[in-house]
Parts: sequence; structure tokens; C-alpha cells
Amino acid sequence: MKSRIKIAAVIGIVLAAVAGDGVAAQTDASASLRASGSVGEQYDGYLGVVGDANANIRDQVSAINIKRRAFYTELARQRGATIQEVAVATACDLLRRKVGQGDYYKLPDGEWRKRDGDISLPSYCG
Amino acid sequence: MMSKSRMDAPRVKQAVVKTALVAVLSVSAGACVQLSAPEKPIEINLNINIRQEVLVRLEKDVQELVDKNPGVF
Repeated sequence: MKSRIKIAAVIGIVLAAVAGDGVAAQTDASASLRASGSVGEQYDGYLGVVGDANANIRDQVSAINIKRRAFYTELARQRGATIQEVAVATACDLLRRKVGQGDYYKLPDGEWRKRDGDISLPSYCG
Repeated sequence: MMSKSRMDAPRVKQAVVKTALVAVLSVSAGACVQLSAPEKPIEINLNINIRQEVLVRLEKDVQELVDKNPGVF
């Protein structure tokens, strides 16, 4: 009887560890992509692929952008804003707080830039 | 066997005039028209239509959105 409980406990711990690993890997998806050099933050609130990137990277970017749009849509509905306004406001925050040194970003002029020092935000970011 | 030439005097004159005309037009067209592409592509934001006051109002909300959803943002 005691050994069965022990076995169950060990299995439980292993499953928790594996599940924890899965969650931990997911929580850094955007940061990982930004750090990869293949993906950058855009002024419109979405991730963009920088240059050529493999299908796996493109798929990850698409998946994240779909999730972002869903969040933007919901917040827009709650706050009486357009989806684009929410997206652009979020982009301003991401450019300020999430784009790290050496990460790529794109401003309204359409050029990919690599962060080196401060980012010159569009005037509407405030 | 030599067939009767279709290029008699009036036709020759027509052909010469036509050729000259084409030549003149080509040269003048080539000299007058000059197209140059801009050095850098211009991004025209046809659909960036935002209200400044709304962005200000959303500031805290989007910060919260970003902080609560790591991985997506």
C-alpha cells in the first residue's frame, strides 16, 4: 500500500515537472522570437518576420499575431476604441518596454531597425 | 522567278516617310521622357487612423494586457 502511494507521488511529480516545462517554454515565445533576430515588433502592434525565415518561425509569428488580434478586439470592445487604436497603443508600450537592445523593430516608415540605445517613438505614442 | 515588285515609286516614298516618322518619334520620345524611381520606397499608411486621446486613455489598459499575457506580448 505504501509503495503504491510513493509511486503515485513520483508520477505526479514527474508530470508536474513536464507540464511546468511546457508552460515555461510558452511564456517566453514572443521574447524568444524577438531575441532570435528573425522577428521584430511592428508599430502596428504585431510581430513581423525580418528577412527570410523558415516556416516554423513564420507559423509561430502567425499564431501569436492571431492571439494578439483577439486581445485587441476584446479590449477595443470594452473601451470603445477601434481595434487599430488598441493595437497601436500596445505597440507603443511594446516598443518602450519589450524591445531589447539588439532586437528588431519597425516604425511607420517601414524600415526594420535594430535597437541600439533609445527608440525614437512616433509622436502619437506620447 | 522574279515577281512584280510591290515597291513602286509612291509606295517607296510612303515607306520612307513612315520610317522617318517612326525614327523621329522614337528619338524625341526617348529624349523627352525620363522616369526615375525614388531611392527609398515610400510607405503610405492608407489606413492608420487613430485618435490621440484614445491612445492616452488606453495606456494603462494596454500595459496591463502586455503584463498579463507574457509570451503573446
